[in-house]
Amino acid sequence: MKKTVNIIIRHIVLALLALIWLIPIIWLVVTSLSAYKGVNYAHFFPTEWSLDNFKQLFFRPDTAANFPAWFKNSMIIGVFTCIVSSCFVLMVSYAFSCMRFKARKPLMSFSIILGMFPGVLSMIAVYFVLKLLGLTDSLAGLVFVYSAASGLGFLICKGFFDTIPISLREAAKLEGASEFTIFSKIVIPLSKPMIVYTVINAFLNPWMDFVMARLMIKSKNSADWTVAIGLYNLLQRSLIGDYFSVFCAGGVIVAIPISILFIIMQKFYVEGITGGAVKG
Amino acid sequence: MKKILDWLKKYFVDFGKSVAKGDIWTKLSLVVMGAGYIGRKQIVKGILITLLEVIIILAEIFVTGPYMLKLNTLGTVQREEILDLTTLTKTVNDYDNSLLILLYGVIGILVAVAFVLLYISNVKAVYRLQKMKENGEHINSFVEDVKSLFDGKFYITLLTLPSLGVILMNIIPIIFMICIAFTNYDQNHQPPTYLFTWVGFKNFVSLFTSGTTVTFGYAFVRILAWTLIWAVLATFTTFIGGILLAQFINHQNTKCKKMWRTLFIITIAIPQFVTLLLISKMFGNYGIVNTICSNIGLTDFLHNIGLVSSSLDYIPFLSKPGWAHVMIILINIWVGVPYQMLIATGILMNIPTDQLESARIDGANKFQIFWKITMPYILFIMGPSLVTSVINNINNFNVIYLLTTGYTTTNMAFANSNAKETDLLITWLFTLTNDYSNYKMAAVIGIVTFVICAAITLLSYTRMISGDKEEEYQ
Repeated sequence: MKKTVNIIIRHIVLALLALIWLIPIIWLVVTSLSAYKGVNYAHFFPTEWSLDNFKQLFFRPDTAANFPAWFKNSMIIGVFTCIVSSCFVLMVSYAFSCMRFKARKPLMSFSIILGMFPGVLSMIAVYFVLKLLGLTDSLAGLVFVYSAASGLGFLICKGFFDTIPISLREAAKLEGASEFTIFSKIVIPLSKPMIVYTVINAFLNPWMDFVMARLMIKSKNSADWTVAIGLYNLLQRSLIGDYFSVFCAGGVIVAIPISILFIIMQKFYVEGITGGAVKG
Repeated sequence: MKKILDWLKKYFVDFGKSVAKGDIWTKLSLVVMGAGYIGRKQIVKGILITLLEVIIILAEIFVTGPYMLKLNTLGTVQREEILDLTTLTKTVNDYDNSLLILLYGVIGILVAVAFVLLYISNVKAVYRLQKMKENGEHINSFVEDVKSLFDGKFYITLLTLPSLGVILMNIIPIIFMICIAFTNYDQNHQPPTYLFTWVGFKNFVSLFTSGTTVTFGYAFVRILAWTLIWAVLATFTTFIGGILLAQFINHQNTKCKKMWRTLFIITIAIPQFVTLLLISKMFGNYGIVNTICSNIGLTDFLHNIGLVSSSLDYIPFLSKPGWAHVMIILINIWVGVPYQMLIATGILMNIPTDQLESARIDGANKFQIFWKITMPYILFIMGPSLVTSVINNINNFNVIYLLTTGYTTTNMAFANSNAKETDLLITWLFTLTNDYSNYKMAAVIGIVTFVICAAITLLSYTRMISGDKEEEYQ
């Protein structure tokens, strides 16, 4: 008897907690379905429901809300960043985990020190470097910004490579395989979960990011923006009254694919992060 | 430190030895870098290296050279437009651009340093080659050299591009910003119209002093204190909350563990800029939460007990200091707990069960088990990542910036230095550059932030790693 009460209370508490955590998301979804365009201050649920916000998002882009262009830009940036930075992470991890050379230890500690500089500090100067290369306000520039330094994020992946038995590589070497063959034919196929993790992470990074895009995109033309910048801009004081529920609709559209990827990734996430943490 | 000095000494002694004992080819490669290779029949490699030498020297002389010469003053000729009255066309004089001088100067110096290192190791390599020849060893042909880039020296192939990216994206920008901290680059000295120049430690001094108009010292101390309080509180609340939630969900009596976990995880899956902006609107002065609070009479109650001044007809969740600080930490719990829960779940599943069992047999109760076994175990594994998360929180831009977009300070001392009470060092830095073009102070703040982060890491790592606890759980 006491145990059943305990179980019931336990689930009620959990349900309450889950509700607290989901309230903003519920609000996001219901507001995106509201017929009223501004912020609804009086009621939690909209008084009139409609799908018009989604229609406006996709089929009636205007200068303030050009969602198709933003989505396309973010998609292009996401895909290219994903390719480049996954390659970089895997390459650096293999070099640091499986090969032994004189500069290995110093390079590893150096990259940890580099990681300690606040990102925003260097970002301002990155803008000047991009200007020098003529890449500001371009998709290529943003891909460069997101992926160039991604090699520094090797720790988790290296932790995974460290767990691949050394005997496998030695056996291959005895058979006359070069390091390149070992890398492409043995280590890569063995680390599928890690690659899935790295790829999804690299793809999500530009979608989730706000600061970098904010600093790098100075263009006033809304067709040059990414989803993050565009949606943020909709909440400007002059626009919020007409576009708040459109903002919410955009948020929902962005959140759906990301949530799906994230839920796929959650298993790797737990393994990946703890695996890396244990080994430092 | 001593190790580095010894290494440096050996480095240059080796160089001297190579030069002194080298034969004609080795000595010739002091001038033409590829000569040593050509002399040993490695023609292609020799030509490539000589070509590289020529390109670097030409670039140094013609591209970065003119800028490097002006590095000491950062330019002297200010931009002037002269209007020719007869043709009504404007001509611009041959002006100096301090920004380009500094940027190209930094790049030029980096290239020069790299070149010197390359030069020295080249001479050593050529000397090694000479010795190999004397001993009658096999000397690689060009094809063999390329092959070794995919075998024994595969790490060079792997690391070249990523390192280049890091140099462009991290190293050059960081050096550049450190230099900016020692100049007067701000809204009044913006190239190309105006010049800026070196001012020594003046910016650091003004960060720590405060007068009547310039109040950086005043704002800095308060923002630093809030940054540290925030980092510690944000880390520990989400950490403890995450572990408790993970424990709660993992308990044997909980049904549908996976579903509960997924419900919480949805909140991290949605981009922060969406959820945080949304929450900031919910808690706005006339937002939905305020409507609900005044409907249920909470606003009146707070008026009565004096927590909200009676001149306001709303609860200033995110618009008054104090209130905003507490709300930010609470909202951060919302943001951070699911993430910590995810990590803690992974760790809790791997906890050694024999320890838990033997504790239970010895008669320990649930709380004793949690505090004496579970917590130390989690701390042992998560310790290093706890330090990183304190540092991440010091640099936690999103939460603060997106939640306080509508916040305006009423404190003149803060406003004079473009800061507000809820700012972290990092958001202050961002506002200074993005809105006020005050690059010099932003750079100084960035350096201070780095020093703080580095100090925390060094202190805690030596503490945590130096102890002989490493094998406790093996």
